[in-house]
Amino acid sequence: MRSRSLLALSTTALALPGIAGADAPPLQNTLSYKISNYKEDDLSRSEVLFGDLDRYDIDVHQFRLITPVGRNYALQVDANYESLSGASPWFTTQGFDGKPVVNLSGASGIRDRRSEISVGGSYYLENGRIGGNIGYSEEDDYRASYVGINGERHFNNDLTTLAIGLSYSDDAIFPTDAPLFNRVVSADKSSSSVFVSVSQIIDSVSTMQSALSITEQSGFLNDPYKLRDIRPGDKTQIAWSNSYRHFFLNADAALHLNYRYYHDDFGVSSHTFDMAWHQNLGDIFRLVPTVRYYSQSAADFFTNQDNFLAPLRTYQSSDYRLSAFGAVSGGLGLIADRGDWTATLTAERYLANEQYSAYEVEQPSTALVQYNRVSLGIEYSF
Amino acid sequence: MNLSLKRFAFTAMGSTCEMQIYAESRIHAKTVIRDMASEVHRLEKKYSRFRHDSFVTDINLAAGKPMGIRLDSETKSLFQHALSCYEQSAGLFDITAGVLNRIWDFRQARVPSQELIDQARSHVGLHKLKWRQGRLLMPAGMEIDFGGIVKEYAADTAARLGRKLGVRHGLVNLGGDFAVIGPQPGPAPWTVGIINPQAPDSLMATIELLDGGLASSGDYERCFIHEGKRYSHILNPKTGWPCAGLRAVSIAANLCTVAGSMATIAMLQDEAAGIEGLRESGLPHVYMTNAELIGGAGIQV
Amino acid sequence: MLARMRCPLLLVVCALAVNACTPVRAWERGQLARTEMAWDADGLESALNDHIFFSKEASSGGNSAAGGGCGCN
Repeated sequence: MRSRSLLALSTTALALPGIAGADAPPLQNTLSYKISNYKEDDLSRSEVLFGDLDRYDIDVHQFRLITPVGRNYALQVDANYESLSGASPWFTTQGFDGKPVVNLSGASGIRDRRSEISVGGSYYLENGRIGGNIGYSEEDDYRASYVGINGERHFNNDLTTLAIGLSYSDDAIFPTDAPLFNRVVSADKSSSSVFVSVSQIIDSVSTMQSALSITEQSGFLNDPYKLRDIRPGDKTQIAWSNSYRHFFLNADAALHLNYRYYHDDFGVSSHTFDMAWHQNLGDIFRLVPTVRYYSQSAADFFTNQDNFLAPLRTYQSSDYRLSAFGAVSGGLGLIADRGDWTATLTAERYLANEQYSAYEVEQPSTALVQYNRVSLGIEYSF
Repeated sequence: MNLSLKRFAFTAMGSTCEMQIYAESRIHAKTVIRDMASEVHRLEKKYSRFRHDSFVTDINLAAGKPMGIRLDSETKSLFQHALSCYEQSAGLFDITAGVLNRIWDFRQARVPSQELIDQARSHVGLHKLKWRQGRLLMPAGMEIDFGGIVKEYAADTAARLGRKLGVRHGLVNLGGDFAVIGPQPGPAPWTVGIINPQAPDSLMATIELLDGGLASSGDYERCFIHEGKRYSHILNPKTGWPCAGLRAVSIAANLCTVAGSMATIAMLQDEAAGIEGLRESGLPHVYMTNAELIGGAGIQV
Repeated sequence: MLARMRCPLLLVVCALAVNACTPVRAWERGQLARTEMAWDADGLESALNDHIFFSKEASSGGNSAAGGGCGCN
């Protein structure tokens, strides 16, 4: 039984800035780089009427620098570069046997690059943090500029943290070969997003967080590369996320559990459940197996066979991402942490299938993806 | 994995200090230790009452000024902790008690007049401080001394910084106040020997630390005998007289700051109350009574 | 089979929410400060995952505000 005076002394001692576990500005520069290869499985010939069988093959390079500025500020710079090749579904028709068949675009497939840069700053207060960021990304046919502000505050002896954030993105779409295929030449889209989250320390080994985000998109939300893809010009998305972390002293391991419920007014709802087990192996290595289950319902206007006879104003899309499906993925990561150097190797397998769906599947999509991802990351602190 | 122990001794806060960390790279260990030590020096510069350029000196010079002085958040938190010590010890642990030290001369073992003691006591009492809009208003003639808190706090701060810089096995020793970063590799505990006040060449106990901190309080050097009674150099701010309770206390807690405050309170109380408080805390501790009896719990004697 | 999973998931989350809040003293928070206990234990990894899932699934959003859009969706 702890005495009352011990409790009182500990309460004030824990509030001392050198001891408190609350957010503090970074003390060192951290430079991180991660290279990833992401490759979708090829479709089988029976599913593709004409066009390439190859799907996307993407290389992603991510750079991040976090640097302290003075005692209370931190600066973060992110730069990403993606190079992508392959083809994506163009339109869906009925095959010879009556089943829907995907037609992949472009005889030579798609080549695209995506570059993104963003800069953010944070100011650390006595019991919280405020920050902002701006970013810009560019592709052959897409441009996005965005800004965001966010902040957090610790309450209740730093047991509770409230965070809020706002962001706005202004995007421009200018499809390639627009005149040739009678595509829209250029279009705009904007999205505004707000989130609020509450984190709570439950006991000495577990914490939980609940967050709500609302995003409002408006403008051109169609897929410009599909022959017949007409969607509403506004979309409201709500996501409610819950996370739980628990440290097991005996196992020297941490359990991560996350659950998200999502709904939007296209009619899509989804459940995402993922978990990770961070197993420490000695002082240097950590092994991280992960599993994830995802399932969504179809958008109200999803069709697995494009209807070219319907009036042009009728909403329809054969985008597989608007179909009802489920996806199971699993991965394994190995982390080597040598103090100032950290290396991470991750491999992941993702399988989407209408049979995995927790929702009723009226019209299965034939274009669901399976992919493998392999990443190698290094981080250096100085 | 090839961890080697790197040690670095230095002087700060009027004591001999030492950092010990296990690291693979000597160069990395060196920069980490340098950062940890500079944090200790920062706190010494800010809170030493012996430095004329310290913030504590500014606070003491502002005593009696109608506008008082604005405190930063770190100092406010230290005042909060000092207030908690004051409340939990029923006014015995008082960071304003320093003025009493001026009238007691332990080297000459002379007892000051009661009139002098009463006059000094009128300038003591943490409850006399006033706060207005983040400013401290301290009556003229009073002064504060964070000496009984800052060394322990500095040990915890340095340890936390080391942990943040990637240290997994390390020890901070600021003149007998210890903060530990994890156990020694193995894992094995850090063993801290507690010196016997009666025979400074021998140990009265050892305490094993896996994490957290350890602090000691005692009248190892300065004490005097007056009319057959032994008085420590630790003054009771309520009577203005030195304490005659426990002779030495060492206690381990999960923070050095907590251990230090508990040890100081145990020394200020009368012997029986001090022992009872230590026992009630449930923390590993060792003490020596006025009759030179050694007691404690959770230790190797 | 999978369709019936939905309810237990929500129940687990609600049970966690009710369970919260015992005072945790500073000296007891050491485990919570470990990197593997962070909400976002590997920033680049979670950014990459968000980006890929954003391009493969209809859902997005959660515990942060949305960043910029992408031609991939």
